[in-house]
Amino acid sequence: MGDAEADYSYGTCATPYCNQGWGEILTHMSPYGYANFGIAFGLGFSVVGAAWGIWLTGSSLVGAAVKAPRIRSKNLISVIFCEATAIYGVIMAIILANKVKSPEVESRYLDDNWDFGGYYYAGYGMFSSGLSVGLTNIASGVSVGIAGSSCAIGDAQDPSLFVKILIVEIFASALGIFGIIVGIIQSNSCNFPIAALE
Amino acid sequence: MTVPKGIHGGLSDFNIQHGFVEGLVRGMRSSFLQDSDYHHLTQCENLDDVRLNLTESDYAEVLVDSNTLNPSDLQTVSIQKLVTEFKYLRSQAVEPLSTFLDFISYEYMIENIMLLLKGALSGRDINELMAQCHPLGMFKDSTMRSIPTFEPNAKGFADLYQTVLVDTPVGPYFAMFLQESSDKASGEVRNVIEEVEIEIIKSSLIKYWIEDFHQFVEKLGGDTAVIMGEILKVRADTNAINITLNSFGTPLNEPGMRTSDRKRLYPACGHLYPAGTSMLSDVADEDELGRVLELFPQYSGIWNVHASGTGEKSIDDAFYERDVQMLELAFESQMHFGVFYAYVKLKEQEIRNLVWISECILQQQKEEINKFVPVFSFHAPWRSKKKN
Repeated sequence: MGDAEADYSYGTCATPYCNQGWGEILTHMSPYGYANFGIAFGLGFSVVGAAWGIWLTGSSLVGAAVKAPRIRSKNLISVIFCEATAIYGVIMAIILANKVKSPEVESRYLDDNWDFGGYYYAGYGMFSSGLSVGLTNIASGVSVGIAGSSCAIGDAQDPSLFVKILIVEIFASALGIFGIIVGIIQSNSCNFPIAALE
Repeated sequence: MTVPKGIHGGLSDFNIQHGFVEGLVRGMRSSFLQDSDYHHLTQCENLDDVRLNLTESDYAEVLVDSNTLNPSDLQTVSIQKLVTEFKYLRSQAVEPLSTFLDFISYEYMIENIMLLLKGALSGRDINELMAQCHPLGMFKDSTMRSIPTFEPNAKGFADLYQTVLVDTPVGPYFAMFLQESSDKASGEVRNVIEEVEIEIIKSSLIKYWIEDFHQFVEKLGGDTAVIMGEILKVRADTNAINITLNSFGTPLNEPGMRTSDRKRLYPACGHLYPAGTSMLSDVADEDELGRVLELFPQYSGIWNVHASGTGEKSIDDAFYERDVQMLELAFESQMHFGVFYAYVKLKEQEIRNLVWISECILQQQKEEINKFVPVFSFHAPWRSKKKN
């Protein structure tokens, strides 16, 4: 990195302490930070979506089962579909966490022929794959939850409805699978460099 | 007047607060008698057969204590079952659903208070009157016993309000009624001894209740405002039409009284408000009423049932049929409060049906027995029309 006196004369800077806009801010955030936030968002949003779906469907299931106890066991499938979205988040988080590696040699500054391209690529790639998984799983979890709530109530009145509404839930949980597939593709070639290029 | 507290919620967060209670009431929907049950009941020869058939339905638990069955016992026991279920729902509900359920019970409180006042005027025994009260609208024992002890004049009525009624949940409606009657030209409530006056008081109180309830559901918003708003508007219009129809031949129909007194009884919500009610307030007889209702397509069909006068169906039957159709539709969507109101009203209709059938069997009038409106029936006219 160049020293401050040379840099500050670019753009609109008047002192050595200001920055040159969003570009500088975003590129100066460490790729390790990006990658680990991606892991956090991926896991956190997935679990939010799963929990949302479970309480949506669970409350209706318990209420409808008071008068129609036979629906108790079958309708736990809706809860299992919601749980699956949380599992996608955990899978993605474990894959990403295994890719985050610290450099072999500890030093204050990175080497001049460090693989900066791959370095930034890894950070951005893991952040967005975490977001892909997290946001799709929120949508999938809420969708399965609302469909599961209607499924429990409908099944209590007419048992033949259960399998039909289950198909709706299967399509809704496919949304989470889309997220994890794209997330894995995005993070496939993301590798943190651990030593300078030769 | 009443502002909703708590969260109503939309499609994605209704279930936080109200999912369990909605699941309960939808489970209770399966306890309605089906077409096959009604078919068996109408074929019964005597009341013991009716009792036998009912023990196979949801009414089995409540009939296990009684040995013989007569229509009034059946009604009492069925209403008690409905009240038990309603209290169970009410105990599980949180705001704003709990206020909503309370609103449903206010109607019965008003009816009970009016019953006690009317009965006290004719000098009936308080215990007999309290046995006749609807269980959904009961107050504390001491409150109910003190109602008939007041003098039947204007001052007595104001005293009754100040000491007893102001603490009840329906107190605000009495306050508005006293306010309105002191604003009237006559300056004070006329002698409460007249029977007509009691009916006018009750119509006014029900009018305030419908308006308050309507404002409450509009503030709740969401699906509840759409569905319950429609149900309450139709209820207000039914009241307006019934008040007009029942006023023919009474002092309320005199030209001087129509705008001052009869118009005050029409609720300020509904499809007929404001243009229809101002037209209704000038109506003098049934022909004019028919002409006014021709302008409103949803009511002209019902009016024609009455006007054709064949005696097969009365206007009340036509109103019941239309109400049952609307209330069944309230069960078609989820995540709103309309199902609770619809459940109570449809259960009441079913109890009316059971009492009708058992009365017909008791009096051996088999040709009248099919004149009831079944609930959730596949043979309902609006369902079979669509199939054709």
